[in-house]
Amino acid sequence: MSNQLNPGKIVHLLTISNGKMAESTLSALKNSRQKALKKQSVQVPAFTLASHATHTSFRWTDRLAPHSTLLWIAAGLLAVILLAGTSYWQHLQEQQIDATDIAILTGDLPIDIFVK
Amino acid sequence: MFFKIQYPVFALFLLMSVISAPCSAAAPSWRALTPVQREALAPMVQQWDTLPELQRQRLLETTQHYSRMTQVQKKRYRTRLLKWSKLTPKQRVAARKRYRAFKKLPTKERERIRLKIETEQAKKAQQSAGEISTRPSN
Repeated sequence: MSNQLNPGKIVHLLTISNGKMAESTLSALKNSRQKALKKQSVQVPAFTLASHATHTSFRWTDRLAPHSTLLWIAAGLLAVILLAGTSYWQHLQEQQIDATDIAILTGDLPIDIFVK
Repeated sequence: MFFKIQYPVFALFLLMSVISAPCSAAAPSWRALTPVQREALAPMVQQWDTLPELQRQRLLETTQHYSRMTQVQKKRYRTRLLKWSKLTPKQRVAARKRYRAFKKLPTKERERIRLKIETEQAKKAQQSAGEISTRPSN
């Protein structure tokens, strides 16, 4: 018997033995695989799981939920930027309205020209 | 699972919407106004406390510039204030739009309109003066 193992031979042997395995063993192996996949889907950042959509344990909502701290920080920063932008825009709008009102109320032209 | 994951995201958006909501401090009553504000808004003394909150806030904003106005501007401001406050919000928005459109016109065009209006006003003033002088005295 040769000590050198041929990978092709191993695959062949495994395939044969797989066919000879008991149903309970196959089912146990399948369950273990599913559990391992489930664990992996939680640990890996969700945004990279788009290609794993065929897994039975995968849900589309997992893609939306940022699991890492970095993603939470990014979301927080985005929220702050959006908030600051909105506030600044509102402030500019208010200032513009005030300036126009004062100009209408104090300008050379009578108010009736702009009011109909 | 869905609610468990979505809850923090939802909470974040809720917080954002609450914070970004326009913070509207209650407009003060006539009694609480400063002397400068009272002077500027003098024509509004009767209506002030009945005006809508937003309108009062806007008028108060304009009074911040009152102390820096010239005497002529102050007079115009007080004269026009009552008419301005009687307009509907839609009319005020339309007036602002017209004013901005007017400001965008070329200087020559603006001057032409200004002259035309001044001439019309002078004519009206002459007419009304004539009517008063021809009115029989008792």
